[in-house]
Amino acid sequence: MSLIEVKNLKVHYPIRGGFFNRVVDNVKAVDGVSFSIEEGETIGLVGESGSGKSTTGKAIIGLEEITSGSILYKGKDVTKRTHRKQLKYDEAVQMIFQDSMSSLNPRKRIEDIIAEPLRNFEHLSKDEEKLRVLQLLDIVGLDPDALYKYPHQFSGGQRQRIGVARAVATDPSLIIADEPVSALDLSVQAQVLNFMKKIQREFNISYLFISHDLGVVRHMCDKIAIMHRGRLVEVGTRDDIYDNPQHIYTKRLLAAIPETNVNNREQNRERRLKIEQEYQNEQSQYYDADGLAFPLVQISDTHFVALPKESLNKQGEVNG
Amino acid sequence: MDKKTGRVSDISEDDLKRLEKEAAEEATPSRSRIMWNEFKADKPALISLFILVAFVLFVIIASMFLNVHKVMATDIMNFYNKPFQSGSFLGSDSGGRSIGQQLIIGSRNSISIAIGLTVISSSWGIFWGLTSGYFGGKADLVMQRVYDFMMIIPMLMTIIVIVTIIPHYNAITLTLILSAFYWMGTSRLIRSRTLAETQKDYVRASKTLGTSNWKIIFREIMPNISSLIIVDTTLSFAENIGVETGLSYLGFGLPLGTPSLGTLIANANDPENITQYWWTWLPAALEIIILCLSISYIGQVIRRSSNASQRRATEK
Amino acid sequence: MWKTILRRVLIMIPELIVLSVLVFLLAKAMPGDPFTGSINPKADPAQIHHLMKINGLYDPWYQQYWNWVVHLFHGDLGMSYEYQEPVMDLIKQRGANTLWLAIFTMLLTYFIALPLGIYAGRHEGKWQDTVVRVYTYVTMSIPFFVVLVIGIWIFGYGLNIFPTSGSVSSTASGLGGTILSRLGHIILPGLLGALFGTVNVVQYLRSEVIDAKHSDYVRTARSKGVPMKDIYKHHIFRNSLLPIAAFAGYSITGLLGGSIFTEMVFSYPGMGLLFLNAINYRDYTVITALVLLYGFLNLLGTLLSDIILSVVDPRVRIE
Repeated sequence: MSLIEVKNLKVHYPIRGGFFNRVVDNVKAVDGVSFSIEEGETIGLVGESGSGKSTTGKAIIGLEEITSGSILYKGKDVTKRTHRKQLKYDEAVQMIFQDSMSSLNPRKRIEDIIAEPLRNFEHLSKDEEKLRVLQLLDIVGLDPDALYKYPHQFSGGQRQRIGVARAVATDPSLIIADEPVSALDLSVQAQVLNFMKKIQREFNISYLFISHDLGVVRHMCDKIAIMHRGRLVEVGTRDDIYDNPQHIYTKRLLAAIPETNVNNREQNRERRLKIEQEYQNEQSQYYDADGLAFPLVQISDTHFVALPKESLNKQGEVNG
Repeated sequence: MDKKTGRVSDISEDDLKRLEKEAAEEATPSRSRIMWNEFKADKPALISLFILVAFVLFVIIASMFLNVHKVMATDIMNFYNKPFQSGSFLGSDSGGRSIGQQLIIGSRNSISIAIGLTVISSSWGIFWGLTSGYFGGKADLVMQRVYDFMMIIPMLMTIIVIVTIIPHYNAITLTLILSAFYWMGTSRLIRSRTLAETQKDYVRASKTLGTSNWKIIFREIMPNISSLIIVDTTLSFAENIGVETGLSYLGFGLPLGTPSLGTLIANANDPENITQYWWTWLPAALEIIILCLSISYIGQVIRRSSNASQRRATEK
Repeated sequence: MWKTILRRVLIMIPELIVLSVLVFLLAKAMPGDPFTGSINPKADPAQIHHLMKINGLYDPWYQQYWNWVVHLFHGDLGMSYEYQEPVMDLIKQRGANTLWLAIFTMLLTYFIALPLGIYAGRHEGKWQDTVVRVYTYVTMSIPFFVVLVIGIWIFGYGLNIFPTSGSVSSTASGLGGTILSRLGHIILPGLLGALFGTVNVVQYLRSEVIDAKHSDYVRTARSKGVPMKDIYKHHIFRNSLLPIAAFAGYSITGLLGGSIFTEMVFSYPGMGLLFLNAINYRDYTVITALVLLYGFLNLLGTLLSDIILSVVDPRVRIE
């Protein structure tokens, strides 16, 4: 049984208009997303701004209201409050935010910031609590003297590590990382990511790694799901996605990863233009009348793609 | 849930204490410290603060020696004494009552009511603003409607009508009545700031970390708007002094026989009094001006101190 | 945009209704009745009883309220018990005075505030700015009625420049003379009101000017060689006009409230004094009419300002 199973998740925001503020339409931020996360796995959720990836993450942790669909944790549906409490879901799922400055309360000391989940979910004595906070600081590679300082006294990367420490405090099974390194310098990104990996190994935590940066995702994730306009367009293992992308949108994203090798500049540029051209031409095929992607089709054990119906009618054999 | 036994358990008590001290030293000065520095750097601010504190203390202490009934008893012998004459410092009014003594008691009354008004209306306004801004949605809509409606009611007139209706009223009832009308400005300010803070990630984080909503409002958000609260309360205080005194001036403030700065200024209503017996009302008027200017200035200084770019004190 | 306006107007209606009920009940709750005091104190209680009966004062409150509302829609605000005149007439007379004073004050306020705000913004940080800042600080700290009293003392009684009571001198004759005399009576209270009502506009304009000064479009204009004077005139000022107009609507509440003090200090026969008198005489037809009127004017002012603002700021506009 998977740790988390998301089934046909939909998050729609009503648009009100007309004279009596009736609901005239919906913004379909998340429109029928399904995937699962196993124990100890890192699954990356990739997409551009507005694709719905952040909303999906927030829906799973409960920051957003779900319009329909279900989220199963250890087999039980946690959209029902009774199940949530029973399974201690809130303790088991934590989040790391993108903006490290605004995700830490500027008026609180680091000790209080990290201890917040402990005070809510566990009842430790003052000493036990302090000990635990020190342990957590150590896990993310920060000195004990961070205890009494304030967030503004730290750099972005350090703050993000504090956020990680806070998320790990209650020994969660799943951490949802919402663009955790997007706001950091490249050199610092690697540091934070490595700490995250270390924690994963030591404590067997699963990650839902939300990002728009395929380069970072490649480093961190076993499984990757690509989202576009509220729907999944491709899901697969790391190799599936990087070596055998099927959906035109995935290809386009991959082509946008900056290359550090300058020698093949001309060829890269041509390749990119070609992919962009392919995208423009085939857009109408790969998206339905509303501009949304089609349902996922399984093309291998691990690889799912939102293929248009026409390609299905061909011999089921899709080449990559 | 125990696999975290780390190598860190050997940090000692002493080390912790040392760290705490170091942190305190290295840390940026606390907000109160910054405020105090700002005051020191600004001479008029210090003077205002001094005047204010000294005056309030004087009034409180002096009024304890005075008996209201004796002060307000008419004494025809002293009809319209000029100041510095026959033993009265500021002269006396048509009833022979000492202006100086009335001023002291009146100040005590007016300032107390202003303080009470500020405390009650600010607390309510802050609560309203925080709740409305944090919860949003239906609660906010309802609160906004109430706010809109109260803004339409002609405040002064309604207060005067209410004051005439209530059969026995005293300073406390008056303060309560006034508080029912003067919380709106504060609530609007606090609400807009709370709205902004609620969007920030640390509030979202607290929610995912399991903190209850009310705890978030009072323990997480409120400390972040504390400087706004302090500045607004101070400036409201200056404004609120004018509220009761204005009402008393019109004759609808404190009940008859209770001196207030406003009732003293009301002595100026008579065209004869205003010029001939100017000492009956002028001291009270001057006092209000000085008090309000001082308090307002202090509020400005506090506001400046919370905005780093405007500070005048240099960093240590 | 029209939808927003319509919606606002529709919300206005229940608000007005609630206001009128509130006002009516308040006035009814006032102790005493309009007859016992004003008539001969030896009057027969039976006569008073009779008077109250025929005036419908013993009817249930909702009936009295309904009667009152019906009369309202016919433009009949009842009779003043004190003056024995239709309230409507009283309001017309006194209202004109208050209106003149209010308009004069408002015009003067903008006349002073607009140039002052721009001036302060232009000379940001320099001594001119500080002077304006001190001015706003003083005017917003001191309670207005104190200013009025001191003002009339110095300029009215002391220096004898301005008249100290009434709205027009009894010796004024001819159209020109009357107008001049009326003006003379308005100038001092109007000037004081204007000087002390400029804070919001000045602060707003000043910050607008400062923001605009550092904005890209102004820098572009300057680099193209447009003189600063013109920039201020065409861009900055124009952009700030509508929000400032919106302020006007919101300031009606303050103006009306303040007029009570002004009329008291200057013995100016307007609606404010009428109100104070009516309270003392328990003339509750006048009281209800005035409170309702003022409430209605507040409502109008707010509505107007909201509409103007929604036109100006596309973010506020709810399509």
